[in-house]
Amino acid sequence: MTQPNKKDFRILSIAPSYRGFGFVVLEGEETIVEATDKTVKGDKNAQVLKKVEALIAHYQPDVLVMENTSVEGSRRWPRIRTLCKQITKRAELRKVRVKLYSREQVMKTFLPNGQGTKHDLAEIMAKRFPEQLGSQLPPKRKFYMNEDPRMAIFDAVALALMFRLKRTNQKPQTLD
Amino acid sequence: MTRLPNYLRTTRKRTALSQEEVAFLLGNHGGAKLCRHERFACLPKLETILAFEAIYHKPASELFAGLYQEIQRGIVARAKILAHKIECEKPNRHAALRRQTLINITSKSLN
Repeated sequence: MTQPNKKDFRILSIAPSYRGFGFVVLEGEETIVEATDKTVKGDKNAQVLKKVEALIAHYQPDVLVMENTSVEGSRRWPRIRTLCKQITKRAELRKVRVKLYSREQVMKTFLPNGQGTKHDLAEIMAKRFPEQLGSQLPPKRKFYMNEDPRMAIFDAVALALMFRLKRTNQKPQTLD
Repeated sequence: MTRLPNYLRTTRKRTALSQEEVAFLLGNHGGAKLCRHERFACLPKLETILAFEAIYHKPASELFAGLYQEIQRGIVARAKILAHKIECEKPNRHAALRRQTLINITSKSLN
């Protein structure tokens, strides 16, 4: 029996945000099948869970990648932490492998010395996938503005790439 | 990795066309039918598949990669059975050509 190629993976990466979540489906080496954000209203966690389950059923991912919110130093809101745990449980019930990476790990992988903003990371991702993500990059946030929900897409892309890099033992420099 | 049944949505998003616009190109009134195809809820007709090929400039085997993969697997399995049958037959002038055709089918699927 031949061993499956290390890059032959369908990755579903989810990044919850204050208005819903952003997700990306990455296939093979660098094919973005879908990258978008979903907005929910009412009981946000319940709505997000419903949508995530539908995504898992539709795309049948080999692995689900998310941020590790239970790590020390994580600054995510308690609702998001609960949501992440719920998504992880649902995915495991559906026999989908779950991989978690902390924010710090992601920043250290893609930004020099791990120093930079969320927007810097988003710009790197947009440069990496200009065709699919270039048009989705929001303008840099001013201090009086709320965060653009599309930022969650770039967080999801970074997490998915993080998994791919770890899987193939590549260095992030090769991405640029 | 098994491919997704189709990549219509991914391909459409890359062209920046909306469902309504593609539906118009297909000669449909609304995007509902296209939406069903993109959600893998139903399989389009042959005419529609060819229309997708013309709109997106991609072969149908690429647009419907999962479906193609599934069909190909079936063909390869049957080709192996057929090759075994041919080996048991008396050799004639067509046998070598038939055997080569079947080898091509099975080897193509490995690539």
